[in-house]
Amino acid sequence: QDNKVSGVVTARSDAQRIPGVIITVKGKNRGTNTDADGKYSIVANPNDTLHFSFIGYGAVDQVVGTNKVLNVGLESTESKLNEVVVTALGISREKRSLGYAVQELKSKDIADAKETNLVNALAGKIAGVTVTNSQGNMGSSRIIIRGETSIAGNNQPLFVVDGVPVDNSQLGIGTGRDFANAISDLNPDDIESLNVLKGPNAAALYGSRAAAGVLVIKTKTGKSAKGLGVTLNSSATFESLLVLPKFQDVYGQGSGGQFSYVDGKGGGLNDGVDESWGPKMDGRLIPQFFSNGQPAPFVAHPDNVKDFYETGYTLNNGVSVAGNSEKIDYRFSYNNTKQEGILPNTGISRNSFALNSTYRIAPKLTLSTFANYTRAGADNLPGVDGRRGNSVTLQFIWFGRQVDTRLLRNYKAADGTDYNWNHSYYSNPYWIQNENTVGQGRNRFFGNARLSYEITNWLSANLRVGTDSYNDKRKYKVAFYTNGTPFGSYTEDNYVVQETNIEFTLNAKKKINSDFTIDGLVGVNERTNQFEQNYQQAPKLAVRDVYTLNNSRDPLISTSYFSKLRVYSAFASAQLSFRDWAFLNVTARNDRSSTLPSENNSYFYPSVNAAVVLSDALGIKSNVLTSLKVRGGWAQVGKDADPYQLVNTYPFSQPFGAYPLLTVNDKYLKKDLKPEITKASEFGVEASFLNDRIHTDVTYYTSSSYNQILLADVSATTGYLKKLLNAGKINNHGVEVTLGGTPITTPSGFLWNINFNYAKNISKVIELDQEGYLNDYVLGSSGNIQVLASKGKRYGALYGKAYARDAQGRILVNANGTPQIANDKKVLGYYTPKWTGSVNNDFSFKGFTLGFLIDTRQGGSIWSGTNYTGIYTGVLAASLPGRDAEHGGLPYYYAGNNTNGTAVKLADHNAAAPNGETVYHDGIVFDGVTADGKQNEAILPAQRYYKSVYSSSLNESSVYSASFIKLREVRLGYALPQELIKKWGLQAVNLTVTARNLWYIDKKVPNIDPETAFNTGNGQGLETLQIPTTRSLGLNLRVSF
Amino acid sequence: CQKQLEDINKNPNESEQVQPDYLLTNGIKANVDTYWGTDAAMETSLLYVQYWAKIQYTDPDRYIPAATSVQAVWNNFYAQGVADFTKLIELGDTLHNPNYKAVGIIMRSWIFQVLTDFYGDIPYSQAAQIDKYLTPKYDAQKDVYLGLLAELKTASGLITPAANTIAGDILYNGDMNKWKKFANSLRLRIALRISDKEFAAAKAVFDEIGADDNNLIVSNSDNAQLVYQASPNQNPVAKNRETRNDYRISKSIVDKLNQLNDPRLPIYGAVPRDTNKIVGVTNGLATDSAARLGFNKTSDVGAVFTATAAPAVLFNASELLFIKAEAAQIGLLSGNAATLYAQAVTTSLKQYGVSDLNVTTYLAQPAVLYDAANYRKSIGEQKWLALFGDGLEGFAEWRRLDYPKLPAAYTGALGGKIPARMTYPSSEQALNGTNYKDAIGRQGADALTTRLWFDKE
Repeated sequence: QDNKVSGVVTARSDAQRIPGVIITVKGKNRGTNTDADGKYSIVANPNDTLHFSFIGYGAVDQVVGTNKVLNVGLESTESKLNEVVVTALGISREKRSLGYAVQELKSKDIADAKETNLVNALAGKIAGVTVTNSQGNMGSSRIIIRGETSIAGNNQPLFVVDGVPVDNSQLGIGTGRDFANAISDLNPDDIESLNVLKGPNAAALYGSRAAAGVLVIKTKTGKSAKGLGVTLNSSATFESLLVLPKFQDVYGQGSGGQFSYVDGKGGGLNDGVDESWGPKMDGRLIPQFFSNGQPAPFVAHPDNVKDFYETGYTLNNGVSVAGNSEKIDYRFSYNNTKQEGILPNTGISRNSFALNSTYRIAPKLTLSTFANYTRAGADNLPGVDGRRGNSVTLQFIWFGRQVDTRLLRNYKAADGTDYNWNHSYYSNPYWIQNENTVGQGRNRFFGNARLSYEITNWLSANLRVGTDSYNDKRKYKVAFYTNGTPFGSYTEDNYVVQETNIEFTLNAKKKINSDFTIDGLVGVNERTNQFEQNYQQAPKLAVRDVYTLNNSRDPLISTSYFSKLRVYSAFASAQLSFRDWAFLNVTARNDRSSTLPSENNSYFYPSVNAAVVLSDALGIKSNVLTSLKVRGGWAQVGKDADPYQLVNTYPFSQPFGAYPLLTVNDKYLKKDLKPEITKASEFGVEASFLNDRIHTDVTYYTSSSYNQILLADVSATTGYLKKLLNAGKINNHGVEVTLGGTPITTPSGFLWNINFNYAKNISKVIELDQEGYLNDYVLGSSGNIQVLASKGKRYGALYGKAYARDAQGRILVNANGTPQIANDKKVLGYYTPKWTGSVNNDFSFKGFTLGFLIDTRQGGSIWSGTNYTGIYTGVLAASLPGRDAEHGGLPYYYAGNNTNGTAVKLADHNAAAPNGETVYHDGIVFDGVTADGKQNEAILPAQRYYKSVYSSSLNESSVYSASFIKLREVRLGYALPQELIKKWGLQAVNLTVTARNLWYIDKKVPNIDPETAFNTGNGQGLETLQIPTTRSLGLNLRVSF
Repeated sequence: CQKQLEDINKNPNESEQVQPDYLLTNGIKANVDTYWGTDAAMETSLLYVQYWAKIQYTDPDRYIPAATSVQAVWNNFYAQGVADFTKLIELGDTLHNPNYKAVGIIMRSWIFQVLTDFYGDIPYSQAAQIDKYLTPKYDAQKDVYLGLLAELKTASGLITPAANTIAGDILYNGDMNKWKKFANSLRLRIALRISDKEFAAAKAVFDEIGADDNNLIVSNSDNAQLVYQASPNQNPVAKNRETRNDYRISKSIVDKLNQLNDPRLPIYGAVPRDTNKIVGVTNGLATDSAARLGFNKTSDVGAVFTATAAPAVLFNASELLFIKAEAAQIGLLSGNAATLYAQAVTTSLKQYGVSDLNVTTYLAQPAVLYDAANYRKSIGEQKWLALFGDGLEGFAEWRRLDYPKLPAAYTGALGGKIPARMTYPSSEQALNGTNYKDAIGRQGADALTTRLWFDKE
């Protein structure tokens, strides 16, 4: 009985429909093809077997049975090893031929995250890549590959877009604002692929800057455009608080239980105090900041901080037009991003235009160009680093818990001064957000042009000119009457940054005989970098509310700085392949840099790596083992210095009236600098099984970086604070494992892909200076706690004040009951994680896709300023235990009511003191031992207890494990059925819902987000009053014509 | 190409050469800023010697100095002070201008004297020679003082008042006679400071120049002081008061001034908004009790000290006269100790514009009269009053004389003791560890309470 059977044929890898699949009925002379939408229909008998076949896919036989509908998924026969990836200098290579690990992300892996900062979209997706997210929902992000290889220098990878380096520096670190790192100018929607070259082995051709790895980005082209080639993309993302500290809502502002407001700066009873050790918020009547001296109910406002934050949002709209013809391919895109932060009056915006085109001018002559113009800016950026003038998180952690922030919204009084709950230290938080703003405007062009001429069928000549150029203007406003800055100030800080590369290469590819093929290039490059900064400040305004440099009552403070460097390079690279299963790759490069003294400025570095596809070589391919490859390599790269590090100079200071000032520099430079060298090797195995259903890649690597250029601290008694050294050495080794598979794939088109990443990196600082007198190099600090690179230790030690302990490790307690602080600082942890990992799941069925990504960082510590400050100030809920009988406090009194005397314990809370002294109920006993080894019994009032344990002079209590497991990303997508959208004349309609940073499945540090970065420098692991991080939920619509 | 690369790497932002006058101005300004500033004075010495007290963030007043304060004093004096003046001394030689050299030596000696007074043993003979010594050894305090006496003598001898003009001199406007007075006065200061230990060496200095008033600071018009200017070159105390409200005059000195009916009281202290009398604050209260006193009910120091253009004083005539008085008393110098003492007190009162009549009345009080039998008390108390505002010198002399008797901070962290020195900055342990250990091995534990060599029990 013949029936009509119909269905859809899809690819199992991505659930896309396949047109043109040949379907035959086995044993019968009958057949058909799938149409453009992958659909077919055929007449068959229930006993018939349908044979589905298509080039590049494994054929499938399916018995018809009773099915009327038969959907089939085909498995690609293109092995993972045959994928083509973009390597250094934009050279495309088959993955099988590479002697080092590569991991590539495709367009959707990046664009679907809908992150405004490209770097954030990479978090958890690549083994060995650690991303430290920016705080809040805007700002900078730091990316590190395979751990830190430079003790003092930049440890972030080089970004290369279409073969041309693009700047990713973060300018203005330490200005109290978190400016975004520069790669955030690149629109993620323009990226076709992103390949991570994890270290010198992969990136040796980039020379000087390859030690920290390279991100090779290829932008989308018009090559494969279909139809009209128009794609519209629109998304809206909403951001809300992920982690907000837990505050206490029992006690309000004040000290010693007392508070009464007069002027907010000490005129009343503790009204200058910005802490919550005051009276109980039980509705008692106390004059407060809003009550004009009249008593008003003293009550809690539990959401007073939460209410201050707003829902942030990001709107992203883009259009691209792509097309191709015999002569020309092109793709033009425009993207507009507008983001409003969770802090009032903060936001950034970005407009970017990109044009990618290829012109086949003559049969042998091709011109390719890529041009990107971005105008990025901000009206105001969030303040960071806990500064009074711009950080509201500082104010909220030094806070009166009774303050109703809603009453602060009208922040300006009639006379122009601010209206606030405190006038000792702070301006109104809304004043900070609305008056003390920092605006930014960045105009940036980057792009390249490449002319390629095919000299013969095996030799071509290529000329590439690329540039990245931007100016970045910042305007800092501090209003008149701002607390601590009564006259306000106005600052303009302008940067001009430029890098130009001119590169010529000769590329050859020739089959020598049936066994050997050689593919190589030789080339030269000239690179010029220029940097300029002009800084001008009116330190005190003459007239309020007018922000111009002319409006100054003091002489302007100005500095300007210009630097330039040039590097000439010559390089060569070759790949020799044998029967397409054995490959030898060699590279060599010589750089000559202007920043090094002439006797040392030319330096050579080679690399070699090899790959053998054993499964092909030995013919051991089977149904179980699909492919097996081993690889290994060794590389060395050199690195020059920053400009002007050779000759000592005398800096200028602000003049003293009519007297100009010059001083001896506090840095002692080095005439005979040598280049830094990094040597690295790696070995790996790639294997796939069951027709690529399971694939894995295991890498072991080591690297050693030496002759490091360090501006090391020296004893000030030498007359200098720092001396340039050329000696540091740091070693790294680690393992990376990726394991992927397709546990379920059904003929009906259901597909489940899963991918694990695991990476472990161990770094060790071997040497800081040859003389051996330097043990520590300071990477960053906050008060007493420092982040160090310490000789013989892991990189990134948190070094600070610790408890004094006895021989048994018990904490020693002073006679007054407070914990003793050890004289010498000690290592309290390391910020660098022990291992990182992630698991990503993708499900697809029919038009639906669902994906989620969980990632983790284990080991590593963080020092938390929010925790110690908030407990010190009695603001956090963690300061409640022991504060009264209800919270477990102990009863005590002072003999003769002398509160500076010793507290005497009472038997219970109802007991009276012997001579009618006041009885207190907030006693706490520190768990430690006295000098003679007895358990401490001295009672401390809660306020004194918490202040002695959580203070800036004791760091140990504020160091936490930074480990976490996070549900990083959940994506739900739906592609509208082709039959539907065809009617509308569309090619594709995709709807995606993306949720990011949804949930901490586990974290050890309370009150803050352990992933925190205020800047992209090496001094990480210190949390200094972060802005809460956010979770986001976005909806994205993509329509192609 | 090589030449082109070298040209590209020539720093266009800073000068490769330095002019002596610009360096001199910077050296004076930067180091007087440090001397009179937050870290060496307001947060430390002014509190220890109980001229000032804290009403907010009282930890420093409880003898818990901030690590940053300890570090800043050390770094500034060495890397700005010693380094700049070492370069100036070198320029004096290369430019054949001995006056620059002399001024360089005098200023550098003053800095070393302040450093050793504050810390004890310090790197001196190997300091500021980075090519030779990356980790300079610490010299014993005695050797530092003796070395400085010799250097200052050399400097004094180099001075040629009639020739070799110098520019950029914001202390004495190029008047080399005054520089000579400053050099000689510093020598007497050091000689007296070591007199308990090295009497003969001290005597030699007094024998040489002790009677030569023409070459000593005996008149307030010769005071070594930097007169500040309008913002941004205002006095460090003025700059502090523009935005902060942390300090009050100490109750200790207010009590003493009250007890003596001292006409300097309304000059040293300011009347607070809510009271009509000067109210000092007890040193070393806990933060909560200090804050409870009320910002408007307690006195800041007087406007003479908080004014924008207030001078920072490195050496005043009154101190020199006290030095001579004490020298006469203990046999370092001939002369009448009581007369010199009265002159010293008078000069101090005159420095603050007290009328002649009031001076006479004041001097006649029994509590003010010189007591030869207990000269350390008489001189100690009055010198302490005369040095008000000059925390570092006041602190040094209070330690040496052991007068006035001061109570330790109310909730001090030193078990009832008052600091006897400043601890070395923690950077020295890391960066100059071996020499640091040698120094504390010789001098005693690196604690605030360790007494220094000059400070005899």
